[in-house]
Amino acid sequence: MTKDFDATDFFRDDAFIADPYPYFDFLRGKCPVRREPHHGALMVTGYEEAIEVYNDADRFSSCNSVSGPFPGFPVPLEGNDVSRQIEQHRDRLPMHDQLPTFDPPMHTDHRALLMRLITPKRLKENEEFMWRLADRQMDEFFDRGECEFIHQFAGPFAMLVIADLLGVPESDQPTFRRVLQREKRDARVLGSPTSEMERNPLEFLYEQFTRYVEDRRRAPRADVLTGLATATFPDGSIPAPGEVARIAANLFAAGQETTVRLLGSALQLVGERPELQRLLRQERERIPNFVEETLRMESPIKGDFRLARRGTEVAGVEVPAGTTLMILNGAANRDPRHFERPDEFVVDRANARHHLAFGRGIHTCPGAPLARAEALVTIERFLDRTSDIRISEAAHGPAGRRRYAYMPTYMLRGLVALHLEFTPRAAARR
Amino acid sequence: MKVTVDPEVCAGHAHCWALCPEVFGLSDDGYAFVRVDEVPPELEATVQRAAGRCPTHAITLR
Repeated sequence: MTKDFDATDFFRDDAFIADPYPYFDFLRGKCPVRREPHHGALMVTGYEEAIEVYNDADRFSSCNSVSGPFPGFPVPLEGNDVSRQIEQHRDRLPMHDQLPTFDPPMHTDHRALLMRLITPKRLKENEEFMWRLADRQMDEFFDRGECEFIHQFAGPFAMLVIADLLGVPESDQPTFRRVLQREKRDARVLGSPTSEMERNPLEFLYEQFTRYVEDRRRAPRADVLTGLATATFPDGSIPAPGEVARIAANLFAAGQETTVRLLGSALQLVGERPELQRLLRQERERIPNFVEETLRMESPIKGDFRLARRGTEVAGVEVPAGTTLMILNGAANRDPRHFERPDEFVVDRANARHHLAFGRGIHTCPGAPLARAEALVTIERFLDRTSDIRISEAAHGPAGRRRYAYMPTYMLRGLVALHLEFTPRAAARR
Repeated sequence: MKVTVDPEVCAGHAHCWALCPEVFGLSDDGYAFVRVDEVPPELEATVQRAAGRCPTHAITLR
């Protein structure tokens, strides 16, 4: 028996923050494509249905992918084909100049440029850096036998991984960390002078990367930034330095919050389930599938939006032109028609990798291999350097009565903080 | 209490506007701005919630 959740507004209410999954089950139980009554968004909670929408950029535009129902399209959308209205007004939607909101053919070129920055060779070098970085980050708290994992490890780790991927020299990395990992923005003091600490992170990234690109175009070197600076669109044209800087800044924005939440969910499971931890310690080859199952159970992005270009239907449900759809990755990943016993964490689940945590189709998360490697390296090093990892009872309460705070937004899923205790193991350096 | 939205950090998710349109407005292209000099005391709790919900941490309270 599921409760009647229709009275609760998923987009405004905090009721579903701690556990959104009963609501997703309620929606899917009614219909895998169902209109929620508060904003008229079509909520896609079925696995096949989600894939159908993600794979059809022709019927479904990404122009509203970040804004969704708030505030909705800038003009009323009328008629059975709103493609022209979308093209006319899409530049009035937020993030209209960024990859996640692009549709083909614009999307195709910019995505290709991005993929030239994340080559398999680059990813391999980046992973080598991750092992060193993980140890360096752990060294900061390791002797204490405890840490607040999200801020002391996952945040700086995810940020510096992207800095390295893009070729930020190690000598510049402390500056990146100071500016981008600035804690508690709301603690900023009114009227204090603008120092490096006060600088706006995005502005900092634009300036920094524009400078890198201009510099490397003037004087190429044998480094990653030179590759970034000389990458071209598929037709051979050269992007403006600002365009490259925008893609770089985008990677920081997209690859931070999400990866941090994945790492948090993974270490929470390791700490909560001693049996599982023992198994992973003994059989390390299980870690990759463990990461996939974590992504399935706790998708860091709960969902993404699309706009129907013309009247159509999905799973027999009528979708009028101009409808906002929310594709709920976190719900599709628990669709019992695709995943047996979907609410159970099954470390060796055969189809765990089918999850939609990274989306699908042309907008599939380009950072997926990065996130997977970050999770793997983090888990491996935490297991290597400890003999036991536990959840802090002082911070989260005793087993069975834990208190966890989750990100208070309908978009992201993951812990705000995770206090761990561990028993260090000597001589376990890599 | 005062509140500001960093226009460079705001990505237009508009969660703040959805929660508290009395304090947060949206520009023509969908980014958030603050309508008031001082947050009315009865809205302080809502504005705090809105700040916590911002996916890009663009909202500053003081």
